Amino acid sequence: MTLHLSIMLWLPAAFALLGALLPGKLPGRIAILGSLLTLAYAVVYVVDFDTGKDGLQYLTDEAWIEALGINYKLGIDGLNLFLILLTALLWFGATLWANLKEWEHARTFFLWLGIGETAVLGALLAQDLALFVVFFDLMLVPFFFITVGWGGKDRVPAVTKLVIYTLVGSLLMLTAAVATGVLAAEGTGNPVDFDLSVIQASGLSEGSQKWIFLFFAAAFLVKMPAVPLHGWLPDGYSAMPLPALALFSGVLSKVAAYGFLRISLPLFPDAAADFQELMLILALVSILYGSVMAFSQTNARLILGYSSIAQLGFITLGIFAIEGTGAQGAILQSVNHGLVTLPAMFILALLAARAGGSEDIRDMGGIAFKAPVLAVFFVITTFALLAMPGSSNFVGEFLILLGVFKTQMAIAIIASIGVVLASVYALRLFIRAMHNRVGADVDSRDLSLADGVILVPVVLLIIAFGLYPQLALERGEKATAAVVAPARAILGEPTGNYGLAEEEAEAAAEEPAGAAPQIDPTTGQPIDPATGQTADPSAQGAPPAGGELIYVDPTSGQQVAPGTPGAIAIDPATGQPVEDPAAGAVNEVTP
Amino acid sequence: MSTVETFTWLALLLPLAGAVINGVGFRVWKGKTAGVIGTFFLFAAFACAVVAAIKLKSLPHEAQHATSVAWDYAATLGIDAQLSLLIDPLALYMTLVVTGVSALIHLYSVAYMTSDEGYVRFFAYLNFFVFSMLVLVLAGNFLILIVGWAFVGAASYMLISFWYRRTTATNAGIKAFVINVLGDVGLVLGTYFIFKGTGSLDFLTTFKEIEEGAAFATENDGDLVAGCLLLLVGAFAKSAQVPLHTWLPDAMEGPTPVSSLIHAATMVTAGVYLIARMWPLFEQAPAAANVGAIIGCATLFIAATIALTQTDLKRVIAYSTMSQIGYMVMAVCSGAYVAGLFHLMTHAFFKALLFMAAGSIIAAMANVQNLDKMGGFRRSMPFTYGCFIVGGLALSGIPPFSGFFSKDEILAYTAARGDWHVALAVIGYVAAFMTAVYTFRLIFRAFWGDPVKEAQELEAGHMAHGEHVNPANGEPEDTHVGFPGPEHHIAERAPEMKGAMGVLAVLATIAGVLQIPFVTHWVDTFLEPTFEGSFYFEDLHPSDSLTIAGMVIGASLGLAGIALAYRLWVQKPGTTAALIERFRPLYSLSFHKWWFDELIDAIIVRPAAWVGRVCDQQVERILINGVLTGGTTGLVKSASAAVRGVQSGFLRYYAAAFALGTVAVTFYFLVA
Repeated sequence: MTLHLSIMLWLPAAFALLGALLPGKLPGRIAILGSLLTLAYAVVYVVDFDTGKDGLQYLTDEAWIEALGINYKLGIDGLNLFLILLTALLWFGATLWANLKEWEHARTFFLWLGIGETAVLGALLAQDLALFVVFFDLMLVPFFFITVGWGGKDRVPAVTKLVIYTLVGSLLMLTAAVATGVLAAEGTGNPVDFDLSVIQASGLSEGSQKWIFLFFAAAFLVKMPAVPLHGWLPDGYSAMPLPALALFSGVLSKVAAYGFLRISLPLFPDAAADFQELMLILALVSILYGSVMAFSQTNARLILGYSSIAQLGFITLGIFAIEGTGAQGAILQSVNHGLVTLPAMFILALLAARAGGSEDIRDMGGIAFKAPVLAVFFVITTFALLAMPGSSNFVGEFLILLGVFKTQMAIAIIASIGVVLASVYALRLFIRAMHNRVGADVDSRDLSLADGVILVPVVLLIIAFGLYPQLALERGEKATAAVVAPARAILGEPTGNYGLAEEEAEAAAEEPAGAAPQIDPTTGQPIDPATGQTADPSAQGAPPAGGELIYVDPTSGQQVAPGTPGAIAIDPATGQPVEDPAAGAVNEVTP
Repeated sequence: MSTVETFTWLALLLPLAGAVINGVGFRVWKGKTAGVIGTFFLFAAFACAVVAAIKLKSLPHEAQHATSVAWDYAATLGIDAQLSLLIDPLALYMTLVVTGVSALIHLYSVAYMTSDEGYVRFFAYLNFFVFSMLVLVLAGNFLILIVGWAFVGAASYMLISFWYRRTTATNAGIKAFVINVLGDVGLVLGTYFIFKGTGSLDFLTTFKEIEEGAAFATENDGDLVAGCLLLLVGAFAKSAQVPLHTWLPDAMEGPTPVSSLIHAATMVTAGVYLIARMWPLFEQAPAAANVGAIIGCATLFIAATIALTQTDLKRVIAYSTMSQIGYMVMAVCSGAYVAGLFHLMTHAFFKALLFMAAGSIIAAMANVQNLDKMGGFRRSMPFTYGCFIVGGLALSGIPPFSGFFSKDEILAYTAARGDWHVALAVIGYVAAFMTAVYTFRLIFRAFWGDPVKEAQELEAGHMAHGEHVNPANGEPEDTHVGFPGPEHHIAERAPEMKGAMGVLAVLATIAGVLQIPFVTHWVDTFLEPTFEGSFYFEDLHPSDSLTIAGMVIGASLGLAGIALAYRLWVQKPGTTAALIERFRPLYSLSFHKWWFDELIDAIIVRPAAWVGRVCDQQVERILINGVLTGGTTGLVKSASAAVRGVQSGFLRYYAAAFALGTVAVTFYFLVA
């Protein structure tokens, strides 16, 4: 079966356009159908996805603007597979939710919503840098219009702020993207080509990588947002209508995190390695500052808003561990956080409806008493939000912190304060809303059937995902390992997979001497036998100053005297076998 | 799947089934149905645990530890976590204690909670708690252990805040939860340090690596000590050891069966289980074990001193729990694993019993817990009184009650370590004396003396109905939540309560026979396969004379304590006032609970709130909104002034600037 990505990509926009031509309630219903079909497609991709395969699947590759080297290239791998599912799922949920309400100019509203989904899917699927930039900018436009048209009070200044922030970010990204394509082509002498794999293969000089990396980082960090680039968030969150906000916070922020993985790490590995500490510290500041702000707010939207700064901080932390476990955690956590954001925002709407329209937790209280079912789903969502062990969010956080622990132990330990603070702000929100004495204007009632249709399946999914996070992890494994490999090789660190290091060293030791090294089919670089990842050959072969090597007997694993026949030289700094100057013939690394 | 595995999984999943059935059908179950369902599933789980234990013990020694895997949980780049159980004698010992005591407390609650509006919710939570606790004790790797660890924390939070319209209950709940999360974080970081050396999250693999010297081959390896200390942080938070104990007394806001089950018999002993489970690590990191022993000893002493002066009936028992867990922690950190686990079991019996008896009094007092208002319940509640006496004698370590044997085993083994461990044992004996004093202070003040109004009414056949206020802070109470209601029960009148307490009273009396020095070694024998290869298990034994001396000293101190309590509160009731005046500073120290709450408030809570305010009011407003946003806005506005001349509107800015930028940049790179 061929599954054309273009069909899934353009489906939501096509249905939205169709809906825009129809009268009455039909546009909303058509939008539901469109997002449902997209969701079905996304589920099929997850089921059909070949876990054992390297590289991109379901590839679509056409030249788009040949003169500028821009391609219409789409593909799925472990990095975006579950984000696509998340996008489709959340859009379906939010579209259903939007249908519960009467909107003025419903046609236009649902048109923007559909275009938004296509734009996000486009950004996730794009395998061409220019195409990515186009979709990335396009995805913001519907949200500007939705906020202006249907937002709350003070929406105009809020959107102005948002536009200015993203405008600056977008311009920087645009500049950086064009520069990347041109400089990469200059280096090889080929014509300009924005295809990501072509750019990765050509590589950029370290100097250009640095400023380009920073430009991209600025755009992504604004979008997430990260401290201190979050100035638009308080106003933006307050002004956006809730179903749109759920998408903005649940999905769009993840596209930025995904950008780091898809673009920054593989294309600018030297810069990523150089700026690793800067990025980790920014992430750490986001975690702590976001958490502290979250427990100081009384507006429930802002509690969720600042908490998402903290959560995105964790995701950034995982990415810039530049290590497989952390990156896996980051992808998983992106999905988890999105999956929690939709029910959280939805519950927020339900709470406000019960507290006389107020979103301030001081006006709530005691709502649980007449709404036991709502309380149950709220408490599960709260526990997932604070990454309680047993939820998939915890697995994500565990992997992220483990990844950082391996590379920067101190940062992991400080970041874990954020875990404690999360329990404070999340539980505070729950208790102040649901428990304690009944608020003055509170008129509590339980979930309606329609509310249940939206809320219950998502919460059940959170539980199911908590029981089997492996579903996402095993599909992401290969792509994450590949995406961190270049920057990791530059850091010159061992794989850091404590668990596998020894087994792999043994396996490497058992390999017959002089065996031809494996070649990675995608990059054409030799695969490091100890890591299973492609490595920069220059980073590996050179032994350290003589006398520092350890010699090991491959059969017994015991350390032996230098020069012993059959012994393998191990660099104590990396734990990997290296070329042995003393007994070169025995353990030759054939180029 | 072998029989042992099948029955263990059943024991684990039955309470979950009970929770789900109660939770889903919460509108359906009327009357006592939910209680019966919950209790039934617990007794079934206990039966399965018994079968599993018998089958396991019929296997050869080396076959008595096995990992049973359900599926891959998080097995990806570099980690190997599966959804797995480790089934061995220690795990099943804990399963037996947990399911057995829980089943009885469920039975008690069937009657005790009858008039509560949240009856079904209560049993759903209580079943869920037992499931969580079983996940904790049966976990086969660190990740699943952490899951169980956090689940019991969550269940504990929900039950502490069970009467959620009381602000005192919700405050106590969030306090308990946050301190427990702190413990979870300790556990996670500890796991990282250990994982760093062993490369595995699986328990059996980890232990094997350490025993074979493949990981952490040198004693007191830095990473291992750090890992073990962080595990201790987790253990201390859960087991209410100093200074992470402040949540436990507040947790008494929960209904009394909760205090009995979670905050006395089971959850709070999780730390003891954890340390015993991790013995191969702690034996390789004696520095960390020593820290644990000292903290345990400090806790047992501090808590005992506090218990002497508190006036809230349940809080006295809570401090006593803290103190007794201090004994257990000291034991397992000193290598006396079996003694610690034995005390865990006997303590579960007599402490659950004491709380149940306290619950009976509290119901008779219409929810008032203040000792000053009680007195003379001896005649009106003879059964409760009898149970309190049995529990009190066991807690005070009077032979032949169970607590006598288990506590003396701990102290004898600790003393047998020699060196400075002897000092720990001496402090343990001093605290044992105080234990007898505060226990019998409770008994004499609640049951002896002139009957108070409630006791008189009870004798006349009426039950007291108090005011609709929260007794803790005088807040007016919603009638639906948090009040015992028109129909409430005391042990004398409810057969379910009487039955549960009767069984526990018998167990609290006779459980000592399992492990009588020189006579029986049943707990030793049962747990042997788990501790095979342990240096202390095999080689640490107190001499005969030490054992006998310990028993004599322990029994004498217990009796002396009771005598002192009798003199102070029965013979010469006025003396305490004079003593308080004379030892005012010591009394304040005890009465204000060594100022731990104030200290934590001053160094953590208030600074954190201050940081929050500064971030919110200064950083966010001035730096982020003023300088950064304002600056950028100004910059963009001036830069686009030219464009604005043509058209206005912010989206046009955006589009125009975007287009302009694109053209300029593209032009630059393509042409230049």
